[in-house]
Amino acid sequence: MNFALNNLLITGLPALLAGVLWLVGGRLPRAHGWLSALAVGLGMGLVYWLMLGKPAFLPSDAQEWVFWLALGLIPLGWLAGIAPAYRWVAGWGLALVMPWVFVLLFSPLMQSEYWALSVGVAWILVFGVGLAALTLAAASAEERLAGWQTAFLVALIGGVSAGVLFYGAKSASFAQMAGSLGAIMGLGVPIGWVMRSFRVGRGAIAVAVMLYGVLWALGFAYASLQAPYLLAFALCVLALAIPATPFGSRLKPTMRFVLPLICILLVGGAAVGVSYQAYMAAATDYYY
Amino acid sequence: MKQFATHGMMGLAVLAMLSSTLTPFYAQGVTYRVDPVHSSILFRVKHMNTAYVYGRFNQFSGMLVVDEKNPERSSVQFEIDLNSVDTGNSQRDDHLRNPDFFNTRQFPKATFKSTRVRKINDTTVEVQGNLTLRGVTKPLTIRVTFTGKGRNPRGQEIIGYETTFTIKRSEFGINYGLNGGLSDEVRVTISVEAIRQ
Repeated sequence: MNFALNNLLITGLPALLAGVLWLVGGRLPRAHGWLSALAVGLGMGLVYWLMLGKPAFLPSDAQEWVFWLALGLIPLGWLAGIAPAYRWVAGWGLALVMPWVFVLLFSPLMQSEYWALSVGVAWILVFGVGLAALTLAAASAEERLAGWQTAFLVALIGGVSAGVLFYGAKSASFAQMAGSLGAIMGLGVPIGWVMRSFRVGRGAIAVAVMLYGVLWALGFAYASLQAPYLLAFALCVLALAIPATPFGSRLKPTMRFVLPLICILLVGGAAVGVSYQAYMAAATDYYY
Repeated sequence: MKQFATHGMMGLAVLAMLSSTLTPFYAQGVTYRVDPVHSSILFRVKHMNTAYVYGRFNQFSGMLVVDEKNPERSSVQFEIDLNSVDTGNSQRDDHLRNPDFFNTRQFPKATFKSTRVRKINDTTVEVQGNLTLRGVTKPLTIRVTFTGKGRNPRGQEIIGYETTFTIKRSEFGINYGLNGGLSDEVRVTISVEAIRQ
C-alpha cells in the first residue's frame, strides 16, 4: 500500500471508530461515560495495531505497553467520569494505579541498568503521582466548556505532543501515536459543531491525557526527550483545568475557551519551537 | 582441621596436575578473540522502496573456537554494542537507537551464539545459532567462508572469516516503518579477523 495512504489510514480509521462510539454514546446517555473512555482507548489501541502490529502479552518491550495501556486505562477513564459524589473513587483509583503503570514502563530500564534503582523509583513516583493529578485536573475541563471546545483543546495537546516527540525525542512512532490520538480527539470538533449537545466526556479526556503522558514518559525514558519538556506538557494539560477553577468560572464563556487556548499555544508552541530549533541546528539533513 | 586443610591442598594440587596433563586431549579447538579494529559489521536496508542505505556497528566483541579437523566442534559467540550504530548521520543514528528501532536503553546488546557448525567444503561452514536482538531470540543459520590465515605485525596468529545473511527485522519486533518506509529485510555482512589466544 502507498506510504502516505497507509499513514492516513493509521490516523483516520481509529478516529472514525472513536467517532462512531461517541455518536452511540450521545444516543445512550447512561452509557456515555464509559463509551467516551472506550472511544479513545480503543481508538489508540487500533492506532498502535495498525502502526506496529499486535504486541505480545506480556510485553518484553516497554513500547508494547502503549497498546495494552490504551485498553487497560479505559476503566480508569470511566471512573474519572462517574457521578461527582463518587469522584473520590477516581482520585484514589488513579493515585493507586498510576505508579504501577510506570513500574511496568520503567522497570526494564532498571533491569538493563540504564537507570539505577533509586533513580528509577524516583521517576516512577514523579510520573505516577504527577500524571494522576494532571488527569484529574484535566477531566474537569468538560464541565465548563462546549463539547467541541474541549475536543479542540485536547486535540491541540496532541499536536504539541507530536511535534515535541518528533523533534525533541526524535521518535517518529511516538510522534505519530500522539498525533493520531490528537486526531481521535479532533474528530470531536466537527461532531460538536453539528450536534450542539455533544460532550466529549470526562472519561475520554482522562484516557487521552493518560496516554499522552505515557508517550511523553516513554520519549523521556527511552528516547532523547529532555526533562524540561515534561514541564511544558504538564502546563499544557493544566491549562485544560483553568475553566473549572474559581477564577475560570468567573470568566465569560468565550474567555473560558480562549484563555486555555492561548496558554497551550504559547507553552506548547514554545516547546515545539525550541525542539525544532535544536533539531535543525544539528543540520544533518535527516528527515526520516 | 590442619590435617584436613593439608589434604585439601594436596587434592587441589593433584587435580591441577591432572587437568594440565589432560587438557591437550580434550581442547582440540583453538580459541580466537575477534579483533574489532580489523573486523566489520555492515548492514544495508532499503529506504522508501528506492535505494539502499548502509550502516555499521563500531563496537563489538566475539570469540571463535576453531577446530580444523572436526569443524562441528567449532563454535562462535558474538556481542554487538547497538549504541555504536553508525550510518554516517548522527540524527539517523539517534533515531536508530531509540524505540522506533533498536531501543538501546532497554536492549543495549545484540548477541549471536552458535549451537551447531557443519562443514560444507574446505572453505565454507554452515553455522546454526541463536540471534538475540531487541529481546527476541530467533534461530539463524549462516554460511561462513574462510578468508585467510597469517600473522599480524605483532607476530600473533590471525584468522579471517566472512559471512553475509539476511534477517527480517519484523521477526525481532522492529516494526516501525514497514509500510514502505524501510524494508523488512536487512542484509548483514560480517567480516572478522580474530587473534589466537
